[in-house]
Amino acid sequence: MFGVRKKIIRVAIISCFLLLVLSFPKLADAQSIAGQEIRIGAAVPITGHGANVGKREAIGTQAAVDVINARGGVDGIPLKLYIEDTASNPQEGVNAVRKLASDHKVIAIVGPHYSSVAESTFPMGNRLKIVQIAVASSKPGLSEANRPYAFRNTLTEDKVADAVVREFKKRYNIKKVAIIADIKDAVAKGVGMDVLPPAFKAHGIEVLTGNNPVTFQTNDTQFTAQITKLKSMNPDGIGMGALGPDALNIITEARRQGMTQPFMSTAPLHEGDLPQKGGKAVEGTFSGTCWSPLVDTPESREFIEAYKRRQKTMYTGPYTENPDYYPVFAFDAVFMIVEAIKKMGVTNNSKDLETDREKIMKYLTILRDFKGVASRGFNEVGDGIKDVHVDEIKGGRWVLVKSK
Amino acid sequence: MFLQQLINGLMLGSTYSLIAIGYTLVMGLLQLLNIAHGDVFMFGAFLGLSFAMLNMPLYLSLIIGMAGAGIVSVLVERFCFRPLRKAHFLGPLVSTVAFGILLQNVATQIWGSEPSRFPQTTEVAQFQVGPVLISSIQIIILATSLILMVAMDLFVRKTRTGRAMRATSENPQTAGLLGVNVDRVIVGTFFVSGALAGAAGVLTALVYLQIIPFIGIRQGLIGMVAMVIGGLGNLRGAMIGGLMIGVIEVMNDAYLTAGYRDMIIFGLFFLFLMFRPEGLFGTTERQS
Repeated sequence: MFGVRKKIIRVAIISCFLLLVLSFPKLADAQSIAGQEIRIGAAVPITGHGANVGKREAIGTQAAVDVINARGGVDGIPLKLYIEDTASNPQEGVNAVRKLASDHKVIAIVGPHYSSVAESTFPMGNRLKIVQIAVASSKPGLSEANRPYAFRNTLTEDKVADAVVREFKKRYNIKKVAIIADIKDAVAKGVGMDVLPPAFKAHGIEVLTGNNPVTFQTNDTQFTAQITKLKSMNPDGIGMGALGPDALNIITEARRQGMTQPFMSTAPLHEGDLPQKGGKAVEGTFSGTCWSPLVDTPESREFIEAYKRRQKTMYTGPYTENPDYYPVFAFDAVFMIVEAIKKMGVTNNSKDLETDREKIMKYLTILRDFKGVASRGFNEVGDGIKDVHVDEIKGGRWVLVKSK
Repeated sequence: MFLQQLINGLMLGSTYSLIAIGYTLVMGLLQLLNIAHGDVFMFGAFLGLSFAMLNMPLYLSLIIGMAGAGIVSVLVERFCFRPLRKAHFLGPLVSTVAFGILLQNVATQIWGSEPSRFPQTTEVAQFQVGPVLISSIQIIILATSLILMVAMDLFVRKTRTGRAMRATSENPQTAGLLGVNVDRVIVGTFFVSGALAGAAGVLTALVYLQIIPFIGIRQGLIGMVAMVIGGLGNLRGAMIGGLMIGVIEVMNDAYLTAGYRDMIIFGLFFLFLMFRPEGLFGTTERQS
């Protein structure tokens, strides 16, 4: 009799204990998102010479926030975006980052735009221990020099060049090439002098201009001397380190002097309306980009839809109507931050701000296989991993050559 | 390639010559610099472009560009030189700087600051002459400039008005006493100077593929350099000076690097000012 009672009591105690244990909140629940909102910052140029692209980036960032909030935010908590203007210069950029980090207490920052601005804000981000994901910055080594909190969701030109050169060679059977390079504009100069020569050599193409490309200055008004020189070398094709408007003039003058060879360059060629302004002269010109509206994936379509919807009520105007790849990178950056929040158990508790920011940094450091619109994550030095899409001018517009 | 580049240089240089002649005419006449001249050139280019875009034949755009630029130049004389005849000699100089800026802004208002492209309607034909390939555009530019320069030369040396201009250059008071209408000569000189700049403008727009309201600034400076190298007030000197600079610029871009371009041209400018201010062919002396 005593035995049975003891047994029942034992079972009862064990059951109660089990019930009690099972009713303990799960470990994840104990760290579920606190607060009314999750704050994200964007430091982009709304004024200054970068105003047009900065506004597009702001719209792209906000569009991502819209999409995420429409799905219920993160564990039910909405995102809130704070935008501060870097005014396209380093001084204001620093102010913008400080305001976002210290006043608005955001958890991570999308931006800045321009290497020159990032050079000032990246070190500051390390001091404040907050992540910055720049969406436009091509100066080599910038993220590498500012570990661990600096990230650039951009693709360095050498990776774009490699893909374009490969397709260019295949299409036109290029064996020897001549290069013309801008000596003034930093981006164009870098492409012409540092990026294209090794890219060609890596594919076994002879660079007729060697280490001395034919040179010009940005916005030069005439190219007769340069084209005559290029022509005399008799290349199979020509590589350009030039911005869109200059490239347009170079190709036009070349056709004038009777050159029929094809031209190629990297991403900067997409600005300046070459297909529309160049006519027959520019048909068959090759370039590359990490994203264009031609890339028809579900993610891309979602981005375009969200962007266009947001653009109706934010910075509406002719220069923000059509998204280019900068707002795409900003869009992806927000999603990367949110993925970090979820996977690293960010609490969004105001006491945990520093650890939360650090968690985001740690996640992005090892993110290699993100599934974004045009982003796959970051490499070991904090630069972006992306696919390259090679395109050519055909029928007065850019058309994809091959999608990877 | 050298011959080909030489032709490129002569083509470019002939547009510089036309501008330099304009500077030199005014310099010789009034011993004054017309800083707005580069912007007169720019205006001529835009006028020519506007009419070309209405599908008018090239020679018509040329004539209109020349006439329009000539009129603008006369306005410069009217507002910057005439009222300041008795003022400090820097007066007209500063005034033309201001007028030049005014012209740039007016052009921006009318045509916008984005580059304007010359319509690619004129089919470019290539002609093989020995080792050299000359395009129809190069022929047009060289021929037009040559004709204008020769006409200018003959005009100044053989015609009555030309003689009146040279007389006024040498000594305005004596010329006036001898029956020359000095005021009219001055206006005429400005008109011709502007017309030549206008021609240079239209031809340049052909070469340059596109123009902006601010091309006058550099072109004006180059014209001044050509004038100094050729010899202040010396018409033939200005022609040669312009051609020289065109060739130097093209040869630099072809054999050196684009970065040295302005350094060499303006370096030459300083060397001449320091060591041979009278230029290659000497200045015209004013006898007063």
